[in-house]
Amino acid sequence: MSRRIDSHEFYEVDKSGKEISFLFDGSVVWAREGDTISSALVASGRKIVSRSFKYHRPRGIYDADGYGPESLVTVDDEPNLLADRVLARNGMDVRSQNNWPSLDFDLAEINDVFVPFLPNGFYYKMFHKPKWLWPIAEKQIRKVAGLGSIDTAGRHNSRRYEKRYRFPDICIVGGGPSGLAAAKAALGEGKQVLLLDDHPELGGHSLHSLARIQESPFSELEGLSEHEGIRKLAAELQDNPNLEIMSGAMVFGVYEDNLVAAQWGNDLMKIRADKVILATGASDRHLVFDNNDRPGIMTARGVERLIMVHGIAPAEEAVVVTTHDGGYHTALLLHGAGVKLKAVVDSRASGTEGVFEKQLEDLNIPIYREMTAHRAHGRKKLQRVDVGPVKGGESFQSFDCDLLVTAVGLMPRLNLLSMGRGRPEWDAERQVLRIMNLPEDMYSVGEVEGPADISSLLQQGMETGLAAAKGNEQPKFNRKPEENIEALPADIESGGDHHFICKCMDVTRKEACMSIDEGFDQVESLKRYTSLGMGPCQGKSCHEAVARLAALDTGLTESDAVPTTMRPPAFPVSFGLLSGRAHHLGPIRRTPMHHCHIDLGVKFLDAGAWKRPDSYMDPQQEALYVRKGVAMIDVSTLGKIELSGPDVIEFMHFMLPGKFAKLDVGRTRYAIMIGEDGILFEDGTISQIEKGKYYISTTTGNQDAIYTLFQWWLTTGDYDVQVKNLSAGISGVNITGPKVREFLSSIIDLDFSNEAFPYMHNRQATLEGVPLNLFRIGFTGELGYEIHFPSEFGESLWNYFMEKGEPFGLKPFGVETQRILRLEKGHLIPGADTDALSNPYEAGVGFAIKDDKEDFIGKAFLAEFKQREIENRLVPYKLQEGDAIPIDGVAVIADGKPVGRVTSSRMSPTLGYGIGMAWVPAGSSEAGNHFNIRSLDGTNVIATVLDHAAYDPEGQILKS
Amino acid sequence: MSFQLNCPNCGKRAVSEFSFKCEYMERPEADADFKEWGDYIFLRENKKGTQTEWWFHRSGCQSWFLVERDTTNNTDHKSFWYKDLKQKK
Repeated sequence: MSRRIDSHEFYEVDKSGKEISFLFDGSVVWAREGDTISSALVASGRKIVSRSFKYHRPRGIYDADGYGPESLVTVDDEPNLLADRVLARNGMDVRSQNNWPSLDFDLAEINDVFVPFLPNGFYYKMFHKPKWLWPIAEKQIRKVAGLGSIDTAGRHNSRRYEKRYRFPDICIVGGGPSGLAAAKAALGEGKQVLLLDDHPELGGHSLHSLARIQESPFSELEGLSEHEGIRKLAAELQDNPNLEIMSGAMVFGVYEDNLVAAQWGNDLMKIRADKVILATGASDRHLVFDNNDRPGIMTARGVERLIMVHGIAPAEEAVVVTTHDGGYHTALLLHGAGVKLKAVVDSRASGTEGVFEKQLEDLNIPIYREMTAHRAHGRKKLQRVDVGPVKGGESFQSFDCDLLVTAVGLMPRLNLLSMGRGRPEWDAERQVLRIMNLPEDMYSVGEVEGPADISSLLQQGMETGLAAAKGNEQPKFNRKPEENIEALPADIESGGDHHFICKCMDVTRKEACMSIDEGFDQVESLKRYTSLGMGPCQGKSCHEAVARLAALDTGLTESDAVPTTMRPPAFPVSFGLLSGRAHHLGPIRRTPMHHCHIDLGVKFLDAGAWKRPDSYMDPQQEALYVRKGVAMIDVSTLGKIELSGPDVIEFMHFMLPGKFAKLDVGRTRYAIMIGEDGILFEDGTISQIEKGKYYISTTTGNQDAIYTLFQWWLTTGDYDVQVKNLSAGISGVNITGPKVREFLSSIIDLDFSNEAFPYMHNRQATLEGVPLNLFRIGFTGELGYEIHFPSEFGESLWNYFMEKGEPFGLKPFGVETQRILRLEKGHLIPGADTDALSNPYEAGVGFAIKDDKEDFIGKAFLAEFKQREIENRLVPYKLQEGDAIPIDGVAVIADGKPVGRVTSSRMSPTLGYGIGMAWVPAGSSEAGNHFNIRSLDGTNVIATVLDHAAYDPEGQILKS
Repeated sequence: MSFQLNCPNCGKRAVSEFSFKCEYMERPEADADFKEWGDYIFLRENKKGTQTEWWFHRSGCQSWFLVERDTTNNTDHKSFWYKDLKQKK
């Protein structure tokens, strides 16, 4: 069955869309290009589209605009998309959600029968005791209640999201008549304008309005009907080079300083505008009566959109409930589309007769005054509607119909305005909730300020666009009395248990009343207790009904019964969109030798943003290459900072706890850094590489923090010092092992003898024209040289060393091997072996502190630490041969209590037993003391404290 | 936090380009009372209202500067160099 119309009495039907098809729950649905999933489903005659959250009530399309929860579906495995918003694509796979075994026959619908017995907090009250019951009950409840489920292997996982940025002069949200008029005015002032609209076609509600444009600030539109005029206006703007139009963009948040966030396709748009104009329009108010949640009950604007935008007659027989002339307009559109109108039910005794009411009267369609809908009948679709007096009491008459249209006034779409920190207020004159005060540089115009006719919308849009372009204040507009729609005096309490206020969470008016009786009689507490407005639509469709009924049922005044704060996101946003592609959040840093490592079969380690070689094969074996032959590690990720200038010594003496005045050119020294709180956070080396030029190498993770810290102190202190961060520009390798001297002598023209280039010295040389800085240091405990060179030579030098080193047996090694080697040598790693409570004396690096200086960072706290007794110490230890190796972090136990912890623990390949570092009580920290390490599995090993290091304790290997 | 911070060098930029360090405080003298040092390290006023703060333009010009910011309303603030703070006094 197709509900497409070929012609319409009042306008020309566009039938140009190409025919396409998609699957809905496995059945083929025919659609036209330009259809949304919803419109295609309605056109195909489908009534049920979804099931409600809790009671599994069948639901059809309601507003065709995605403001409520009715159209949530799964599209190509992506859950919780709005069928009202997603355009039909050929071959897409659409599935309904939250039903079993099928959408049309859902067993859990039985819940709906029990609505009277399932009030708020029912589950919590019922399954509260005995205690064991709740986990079982919860499992079942969660199974039944819910939305779409996430398929982690689904097709949408291959989707790529991006973040994009715009900086227009003026950002207009809403491409209806006032938004377009504002855009035109601002463009006329020479401004760059960005216009966002949430539908594929600009025009807003005007696209489905037959009203005649009597007056317009743009004279070319006068005399046209509204839908023609708006298309003409949109077409005029289309090619303006100063205007960017984003159609189908969902604006979900407006934040401080005019940051507008929108989803546009797969892109997260972050728009920073000088001025923001919110022209978000209005939706039909939600009418609450018995059984008001049924397939076939739709809003007036939803019906109009289906008819005029998509060319669909949504039903056979219809009843329209209205409180204003707009309902008559909808009735006329239905009539023109060939739908049989059973009745128009008007709640007004008599009103100012509008244009459309007059037109309708001529058609001999029965109009019932001072009446409203009392009750709807039918389960899977609407079958009958009881109509009765608006004041309540006995119903007057029943009408068989498959469509009930509610045109009971408009409620401004306040979500985005509310994010500007404004509270909604009741405007008694306009009979709507409005937000009167927006932050500076933010404007609102159009129906979001209350209903208005097309002439006012165009005029006021134009004036607001001008005001924004000129930087003037938000203009204040008055509404003509006939533009205001009187809010329905009361929704009909006609008995029955199915007066749904909040469709997302299945909350009825009866439940709300019971909660009020329980004492939750403020809008805020009522919301929290009943979860009204806390579902997927976040109150977009019900916030006004909640406030209105709260006023009615609690006796709150209209000024107190205002909706709760509306927060972003105004529309459902997927996590994928917010996170974007990974590299946007965390850039990956690779050393120049990255591809050499890959060629060698490396396993990488993430060290901050850096990819570092962890190992190439077996780290234990790699360690033996260092101890027995010669091996090379990429140390390009270390921080490299150069200091120079007249006050450099003074500055270093202040920044660091050590002293450097006697550090001659060509010398290198171990240094630590502490904070003002006296805590050790960093170590590295300082070298004077040329007269007055000091070269500091830091750990990989701290390079930026230390550079930044240096800059901070240079900002606040009076030092004439230059600081350069060379970390990225300089790369390096450490070549180490007994054969290194022999190897490097064969390729570098430099005297590597112990006398000419002693331990803790640095030298400069060139290799094939490349300038090198060489540092003889001993982190690995073996004779070794760290060689630094410009990064652009990184890859070629690595390959050169590998090639020339082959006869010497040169092998690569990684960070894991380096950790084993330094542990054999008893060298700590700040941050791994120390934490935010580790003072340098306890950590055993007090030797690097010279506290006889006038002032330096951390002096006060170090002085305090020095006075205190040492409680714990970081010590190197060894295990017996054959002992199991505990993992890092396990406890040191004494008398059954944890007294310390192991910070690093490895098997020593050189020595053949376990080694490590641990924090132990000072009393058991002397060389030769024993302590007990308890592994995770409960077994214990006895460790022996070492004097210096497990390997080469006297440092003879290093120094020769 | 989505406000724009004014860098004295680069002008208004998204606050996500900057790092916040701390409230502005005078460093005690080296021989000051240990309690004074403890307060300097560990205590912050976290004022409701206007306070002076250290900010760093991390993803920009890499400058340190001071901001007088109303903590109840991020958008009202004044940015200036440290040397101008000294001149004020």
